[in-house]
Amino acid sequence: MTESIWRKTWQGTGVKLGFVWIGLLVFMGVFAPFLANSMPLLMSKNGEISAPVLTYLTAEDVLVLVLFALASVLAWLPLGTGKRVLLFLAGTLLTVFVTQAWVKPPAVNLYDDFRSTAYTAVDWRMMPPVPYAPTDYLRDYAEHGLEAPLEASERFHLMGTEENGADVFSRMIHASRIALSIGLIATSISMVIGVMLGGLMGYFSGVVDMIGMRLVEIFEAIPTLFLLLTFVAFFGRSLYMMMIIIGVTSWSGYARYIRAEFLKLRKQEYVQAAVASGLPLSSILFRHMLPNGVAPLLVAASFGVASAILAEATLSFLGLGLIDAPSWGQMLDQAVKSSTFNWWMAAFPGGAIFFTVFAYNLIGEAFRDAIDPKLSRNAGVGS
Amino acid sequence: MSQPLLAVNNLRTYLNSSGRVVKAVEDVSFSIAKGETFCLVGESGSGKSITGLSVMQLLPQDIASHPAGEILFNGQNMLTLPEAALRGIRGSQIAMIFQEPMTSLNPVFSIGEQITEALQLHNPTMSDAEAVERAMLALEQVQMPNARARFSDFPHQLSGGQRQRVMIAMALACEPELLIADEPTTALDVTVQAEILRLLRQLQDATGMSTLFITHDFGVVAQMAQHVGVMQQGRLVEVGSTAQVLRAPRHAYTQQLLAAVPENLARHRTGRSDFSPTISSINHVEDVGLKSDLLLSIRHLNVWFPIKKGLFRQTVDHVRAVDDVSLDIPKGQIVALVGESGCGKTTLGRAVLQLEKPTSGSIQLHGQELTGLSARALRPLRPKMQIAFQDPQSSLNPRLLIETTLTEPLKAHGIGANDEERLERAANILADMQLPREALWRYPHEFSGGQRQRIGLARALVLNPDFIVCDEITSALDVSVQAEILQLLLKIRAEHDLTLLFITHNIGVVEYLSDQTVVMYKGKIVERGATSDVCGHPQDAYTQKLLSAVPRLLKI
Repeated sequence: MTESIWRKTWQGTGVKLGFVWIGLLVFMGVFAPFLANSMPLLMSKNGEISAPVLTYLTAEDVLVLVLFALASVLAWLPLGTGKRVLLFLAGTLLTVFVTQAWVKPPAVNLYDDFRSTAYTAVDWRMMPPVPYAPTDYLRDYAEHGLEAPLEASERFHLMGTEENGADVFSRMIHASRIALSIGLIATSISMVIGVMLGGLMGYFSGVVDMIGMRLVEIFEAIPTLFLLLTFVAFFGRSLYMMMIIIGVTSWSGYARYIRAEFLKLRKQEYVQAAVASGLPLSSILFRHMLPNGVAPLLVAASFGVASAILAEATLSFLGLGLIDAPSWGQMLDQAVKSSTFNWWMAAFPGGAIFFTVFAYNLIGEAFRDAIDPKLSRNAGVGS
Repeated sequence: MSQPLLAVNNLRTYLNSSGRVVKAVEDVSFSIAKGETFCLVGESGSGKSITGLSVMQLLPQDIASHPAGEILFNGQNMLTLPEAALRGIRGSQIAMIFQEPMTSLNPVFSIGEQITEALQLHNPTMSDAEAVERAMLALEQVQMPNARARFSDFPHQLSGGQRQRVMIAMALACEPELLIADEPTTALDVTVQAEILRLLRQLQDATGMSTLFITHDFGVVAQMAQHVGVMQQGRLVEVGSTAQVLRAPRHAYTQQLLAAVPENLARHRTGRSDFSPTISSINHVEDVGLKSDLLLSIRHLNVWFPIKKGLFRQTVDHVRAVDDVSLDIPKGQIVALVGESGCGKTTLGRAVLQLEKPTSGSIQLHGQELTGLSARALRPLRPKMQIAFQDPQSSLNPRLLIETTLTEPLKAHGIGANDEERLERAANILADMQLPREALWRYPHEFSGGQRQRIGLARALVLNPDFIVCDEITSALDVSVQAEILQLLLKIRAEHDLTLLFITHNIGVVEYLSDQTVVMYKGKIVERGATSDVCGHPQDAYTQKLLSAVPRLLKI
């Protein structure tokens, strides 16, 4: 059944474009430090080969790279879904601790140095495709930072520079990481909460269901954006805080879906047979019910990711996002606050937000169509 | 006789689904005279419904094609008529009724509106008042109780039998010459089925229309048809008069089908002497009432479902699904629980296994009280009592390998030293069910309905229970598959020393399989006793009505 849903989902053209776009963002997000950075990837000086980019990798960079490798390996290994999820979570925790403890990049990062003779007078060197870090304000180049795309002949800025002089394309690449991670992590948090509560509500029904549904209604009444504004005002700006708040406030939809599925599945004969065989509750819930009721969640999750990305972009646009790390919403905010209108500062991040949300919506739509039996293409003719 | 009303000559219907051509109907020829009833009988997938839909030209144009053959209705070839002419014939000259009374009526219109709409569609000149009057008459004609008052009722307010009456009224309102009835009574209870069949015969006598009756039930064939055609895999293997086909079938497939009808199985079985000791042992147990031989004892069991209404959802009344039932099931017996849909037999079966919480009363297995036990306390008792279900589609978890489905309960109860031993045990049970060991490594959707029912039974058996509730396990199966499952059940009963509570609505199966029969009606037990007594000499009025409604082959 899952295979057929994936197959049907993959059929449309729109959804393929959506997946390609998301795939591109994932690639850029994961390998951002190697794609856009001011330091050489590899260089040879006096016969000594070094990789400055590795020295300057932050704990987060390493975490993202390790998790990407872990996910690829797990997807390739022949394991059950449950085992994969567990291994991935364990790997994530382990990597978080290891990177926090061991990865210590230099505290001060003077990008101008990379353009000094220490790094240029070498035998050979290999630079990233975009040779500017996102927070490299190119102070050594010009007083006035703002440059339209391809304006300066001596330097190559595909998407121009922003007011402080940083390369817009580089910022775009690094910002994709924030957009993706906030979407995925916030949605994962809300899915875990939603599946737990919704599953219990659906399986036990009765009083548990009644209390659960009231809780759902309370959370549905909370306006996420204003809660986020309040929290930012009180506790300062943090990406992780945003993820958690978006996650904790948007689980109610998932809970409703899972509850409805479980109410239906509870009466299915194979679930009754599992109860009659005396199987433990965890097996009944997670083995016999959840895999059969998870399909509608795929739809909700795709839309959920899109809305989480939008929430972050909105906050950053309001000037309440992260301070130094680039994000698409923050770049838009810069464009608006600028004294003159600079189209390249608005068009590129705005377009990226638009296409990302659009891609997730396309994928969500495709999932919904694949799951909906009424849209099934084979008209059932039985005898 | 002169020209037949309908003549189907060498009809072929091919269905084209995503590049694959299914030859649904292959070279089928038959004819129906005026006023005659012709039955098409066959198992599921034999192409009988497709034949009916082909006659109506109701198959989707983009999927169905007719490479050969003709369908002559009053001399006109339905296959070549333009769509406009077909619309004139459909409904007014050929009408159709379907199996599912739940879905064949539009839920948002009242039944009166639906009949008048059909009338005015085919007689555009008819005035509203006249159409309403005709619709009322049609409802009265199908013996709808209180027809005039029911005119503005909506489909959900009617029972299944009443809905089927409305469907018939709608089909007959335009006085068609040919009625195509596609399994019209399959979804109905046997007593309702008897009424609908009687009604159809009366209406046919009164109007002189012909009927193409599609069914899988030879008992219904015996009651309805003058001529019968047997279909197998798209081909018509035998055509003849009803008496000839049912009494002296010539084709091997017809013989095989008829032999598999439970009624004939039963005759076959009671003819053998090696089963007679079982029959006598019942009487022995009943007479002496040995407590040691009692496996399950139910005392004053009530399962009530509250009906909640009003602002504060107070309980205003109860649906008494099981109402003060007391029942003893002796060890080693097959006890059949018979009754119509909604009589509480399934609820009783589930309550015995504590899948449904009883309102009051006591259930004792081996003298151990089951009611009021917590889920934890019940767990060690679960392996002793198992259940097998009706629907082969939903009785197995579609996401799990058969191996997981069979070994997981063993693991949960700590049976078997290691995975290999459990696997061996599962394979052995599958072998008992006449399934190959490779079946362990497949998913449920790779099996046919009959095979899935066997796997369902294997899952029940794998914990080595003393007692299995079989909830309509053969109801969704074709008659030949049903016969295999029933024979298998008798075999494993002997091998595993099992006690069965066999819930069914099929009297033929009861007569074949069971040692004792319990008849339920509206939540209460109305009659119980040895199967031969209950089925041979019913005492209760309801049992008598139920048994007389069963369509039997022998009546011809």
